[in-house]
Parts: sequence; C-alpha cells; structure tokens
Amino acid sequence: MGTQHSKAAKEFLKNQDYAHWHDNTFWAVRQKRDNMAQGLDEWEQLREKASAIKRHTITHLDQYLDEFATRAERNGAIVHWAKDAAEFNEIVYGILKEHDVKKMVKSKSMLTEECGMNPYLEARGIEVVETDLGERIIQLKGQKPSHIVMPAIHLNHDDVGELFEEKGISDEKGNHDPTYLTYRARLSLRNEFLTADAGMTGANFGIAETGDIVVCTNEGNADMSTSCPKLHIAAIGLEKVIPNYDCLAVFQRMLCRAGTGQPTTTYTSHFRKARPTAEQMHIVLVDNGRSDWIANPEHWEILKCIRCGSCMNTCPVYRRSGGYSYSYFIPGPVGINLGMLRSPLQHSGNVSACTLCLSCQSVCPVKIDLGDQVYKWRQQLDEFGTANSSKKLMCNAMTTLFSHPSLYKMATAVSPLANILPPFLINSSLNPWAEGHDMMKFPKKPFHEMAKDLNISPKA
Amino acid sequence: MSTKEDILKKYRNNVHERYPMPDLSDIAAVTYTDPLAQFIEMSKAVGGRVVELAEGQSLDDLIRQCYPDAHEIASNLPEVTSATRNPDTVENAQALNGTDVGIIRGCFGVAENGCIWIPQHMQQKAVCFISENLMILLPKSQIVNNMHEAYHRLRQAEKDSGTDLLNDYGYGTFISGPSKTADIAQVLVMGAQAARSVTVVLLPQ
Repeated sequence: MGTQHSKAAKEFLKNQDYAHWHDNTFWAVRQKRDNMAQGLDEWEQLREKASAIKRHTITHLDQYLDEFATRAERNGAIVHWAKDAAEFNEIVYGILKEHDVKKMVKSKSMLTEECGMNPYLEARGIEVVETDLGERIIQLKGQKPSHIVMPAIHLNHDDVGELFEEKGISDEKGNHDPTYLTYRARLSLRNEFLTADAGMTGANFGIAETGDIVVCTNEGNADMSTSCPKLHIAAIGLEKVIPNYDCLAVFQRMLCRAGTGQPTTTYTSHFRKARPTAEQMHIVLVDNGRSDWIANPEHWEILKCIRCGSCMNTCPVYRRSGGYSYSYFIPGPVGINLGMLRSPLQHSGNVSACTLCLSCQSVCPVKIDLGDQVYKWRQQLDEFGTANSSKKLMCNAMTTLFSHPSLYKMATAVSPLANILPPFLINSSLNPWAEGHDMMKFPKKPFHEMAKDLNISPKA
Repeated sequence: MSTKEDILKKYRNNVHERYPMPDLSDIAAVTYTDPLAQFIEMSKAVGGRVVELAEGQSLDDLIRQCYPDAHEIASNLPEVTSATRNPDTVENAQALNGTDVGIIRGCFGVAENGCIWIPQHMQQKAVCFISENLMILLPKSQIVNNMHEAYHRLRQAEKDSGTDLLNDYGYGTFISGPSKTADIAQVLVMGAQAARSVTVVLLPQ
C-alpha cells in the first residue's frame, strides 16, 4: 500500500542516527521561530496583515505587474516576460549569448530550479556557478536541494569535507571543520565572483510602486554576484510582486523570523538598475503555471507563499522523511500543494505525506491553509486516477459496513477472533496496517455492547 | 499580442474575486524606550561589534585601533585619510579584492534587528561586500524602532525630495552584522561570501 513517498522515506529512515539528527535540527529551527514570534506582541496581527496583503495583491496582480514593469523600465532595467520554463530559459540564454557570457555566478533561486535553467545553459556551453554555500555544495555533488532554505541539509560535515577534497577546494586532508570548509569555499567562490561575466539573482520581492527587485540573503552572495560582472539578470515569479514599501516592511519582518528564526537576514538589498560601471540589468518575469493556478477555486491561495520554509521545518513528516522523499523539487507541505498544481499525475504520491496535524498552517506567516489543501487534494485522487487501489477497496468496504447496522454488529462480534490469530499471520506483509507497528488488540466486547451493559443509551 | 499582454489578459480572466487592500496604519509594531540601546544589543546579537567615536578622536585612529593589522583600507569618505584605495576611482570592482577594511556611511539604524540602511554612495558597491572587514559609520541619533518606520522613512524621503532614493546609483541595502552561513551541518559560521566582521561606528550626532 506504500506510496512513492513512503517507499522513499523508508530509505531515509535506514540511517536512524541521521534521521534523528534531521528531525531534531528542524525542530530546533521551529523553536527558534517560536522565540521570534513570541518576542513580538504584534506577530499574529502581522500574519493577518500579511495574508490580507497577499490576497489583495494576487487578485490584482495584473495591475501590479503592469505597474512594476513600467516603473522598472523607467528606472532603466530591461523587462522580459516568459510564459513558461522553456521561454524563460531561451530568454536568459539569449541575453547571455548577446553579451558573449562564458561564466555566470548566481544566487539561490527556486524559480531557476523550477525551470531547469542550469542544465539548459550548461548544455549550451555556459558555466553556471551557484554561490550560496549550500547550493554550491549540492551543485558540486550533482544533487538537487532537499530544503528550499537549507538546500544541503541532507549532507553532514564529513560528506562536505570529502567533496571539497575531491574537488580541490580544501587542501588539508581530513579537516572537516565547518569553519575551515566555509573559509575554503569562500576563497574558491571569491575567484568565481571576480571572473564571471554575468550575475544572476532571484527575487524575494518585486515592488510595484518603485520597480525595485529585493533580494534577502545571509551570505551576501547576491550582492557579490552583482558587484563585479557587467550584467545582472534577476529572475522573478509573477507572484513575488507586492504593492509598495509599507507592504514590504510586513514581509521583511516575517520572512526570516518564520524561516530560520533570525530577526532579519544579514542583507536586504534593493536593485533598480545596472551599476554605474556595468552594462545592463534585466528582469525576467515568469508565469509558468501561475496564471492558471489563480483560477483554481480551492488552491489559488498557494500563490501567497513567500518561500520561507517554515511549513517544512515544523512538518512531522518532512522532519522524519527528508526532502528527497517527495517527488516534487519543493518538499514539505507547500511542495505537496505546488506539485499537485504542477502535475497531479506525477506528484499524487506526496499527498499521503501528511498527518493532517495542521502544524504547517498554524506557523505559515501568510496563513495559507496548507493542510486543508492537502486534504482537498486527497478527495480528488479518484478523479485524477491516482487513488491507491487497496485503500479505495477498503474505503468501499467500510462504506458498506457502516451503512448496514446488522453487518456492522456481526463484524464487531467476530473481530476479537483476530486476537487469537498467530502473530506471524497478523504482522505479515499481507496486512498493511501492521507495517511499522504492531497490530492493535480488538476488545472482547464492542463499544455499543459495553454501553448497553452500563445502561448508557444515547437517548438517556 | 505580446507575451506580456497574453499573460496579463489570461491572469485577469482567471481571477475569480478581487480582495481589498487591508489597512496597515493600525499595525501595533514594537517600539523601545531606548532605541539606541536596543540597536546596540541587536547589532551584537547578529554578530556585529559597536564602538563609539570618542570626542576629539580621529577616525583614522579608531580604524587602526579596531583593525591594527589592516594594510589595505578602502573608502571614498574624505575623513578617512588612511585609505589606500578609493571605490570611486579604482579601475574596476575587482581591484577592491584584498581590501582588509572598507569604510562606508550608513543613513539610519533599525532597533528591532540591527539593520543599517546603506544607499550606494560610491562608484563600486563591491567595497561593501568584498572587504574582509567592514566599518559602517552611523550618527547615533539616527535610529528608528522597526522596519515599518524604516520603509516609511525611505518612502517619505523619496516623495519629499522628488529625487531618486537610491542616489541615482539604483542600489541600496540594509546590512545587519557580518556575512554568515549555517549551510554545513547547521553550524553557524561568520564570513560566508562577504564581510567577515562588521564594526558599527557610532558618531556623536
């Protein structure tokens, strides 16, 4: 009965020490977030405002996008529009080719991951260097991010130490101290910043009123990526545009407090146009499904997401199964929902990765009903043709059982017989309920019989 | 039709219901009885150092005191006479690599998180990031409580002056402490890709 997710999670759980570390690490991040939230009396008010601003903005995005693009062009930036991933990749490649770019440094962007930009550009002879340390590590390792804010969380310091030795980034063999490894990566990346022809950033926010691209980092790599090269390209998903600085203040205060439990990111940088000594700044606005998702009556609010990662940090299933157990490149509660919007046929396996505890929606800074949405997706699986056949069979059987009282009474009367079956039969692979835990004991008397004995009747 | 028009038209047609903009004027944001003390505390909490320029002390002396081993000092500020490099006149941004200390000017600080607003005021903004150590000069009277006040101040300044907020350089940043990362096994390390230390220099007024 295992779904794609539960099968993958089984692999993750084989290393119990690591699985516990992963769980505890994210729980600690969740606690840091709680400290930040509890440290501000206005936190819940901010969540209300943030949710309402986003609701307003994404239902007026046609207007704000137009305003943003107009302002950005007036500032001197060159604005492009891409309807899908293919168009986005072509636009970026076109700009790079025109400027004869051989190497591009870039800061973290889930959008470029979504569009598969790096492999596209690399196949056309352009060297792309990730400069966020976590992203750089997984790029060198040939892997994908396992968390949107902490992309290399699935590797420990020995894994990184060995990788850096192999790639010639560190030269002290066996020194796997994180401070040393970070310093060696700094030296290596410094050289990349100085020699790149173009720098790419994502965008945490676009400001309609001013045309600013706002990028938040702790490492300063977005700023380094745009300080030396002659070209800056900013990739931004449509839903990242917000009305003005007053709105930005709300999100700037929440993004990092919710995501990593810090009062702010180290850098909150505003870009309006190319540096005085650089050639151009390009902004590429990417749709890639967003204009379809806004039409979905039950799931449009997922467009409110600011990609802080707090829903995965708190999720008991994410913490105990890791990012690679999910089929979509964004894991955790928001990833389950985004994956279903992208392709239900491909990503239905993820909707079972949820206990419906709703911890995600109680921490989400923009109050997306993430868990409720997962529940709604589950109701549609039959329609997508991705419902689990054995679960479906059981559900049908239970429907029959519960709608026929005489059949139900008979079944509960004989159920204690299961208690005397030998354990090898009960706890076998033929019984999916017994997977991962012992089978429950059936009581000798069903509840309605006990109630009768005690003279408790529902009408009394 | 252009891609822009296609996208906007499709989006417009797909919106079911339009929601109103909430009132943001009633946000009961945190304020402090002593914003400067809170700013200093937060600057330290995010890994920064805060020093005060003493009456009659020269900035050059203070730089020497904070970073005695520094050889290459980059600044375009006239009061920094010990500067060996000038981000306005270097041949290119790359020429600022190897800077031991960069000295820049901040506009105002934010008490709740230690952020300092730094609109670009030099040809090469690289000096703010490429320097191993960064010193930010800040008049100690210029502290706001929180980010709402900070952005309100920026918006107002632009409206009042009618000029570009970002000094016509098109760039400005809030900096709070040194560059940092925890990407290797969640161990916090100061000095990822940009400045490894930040010293905030409080100026008398």
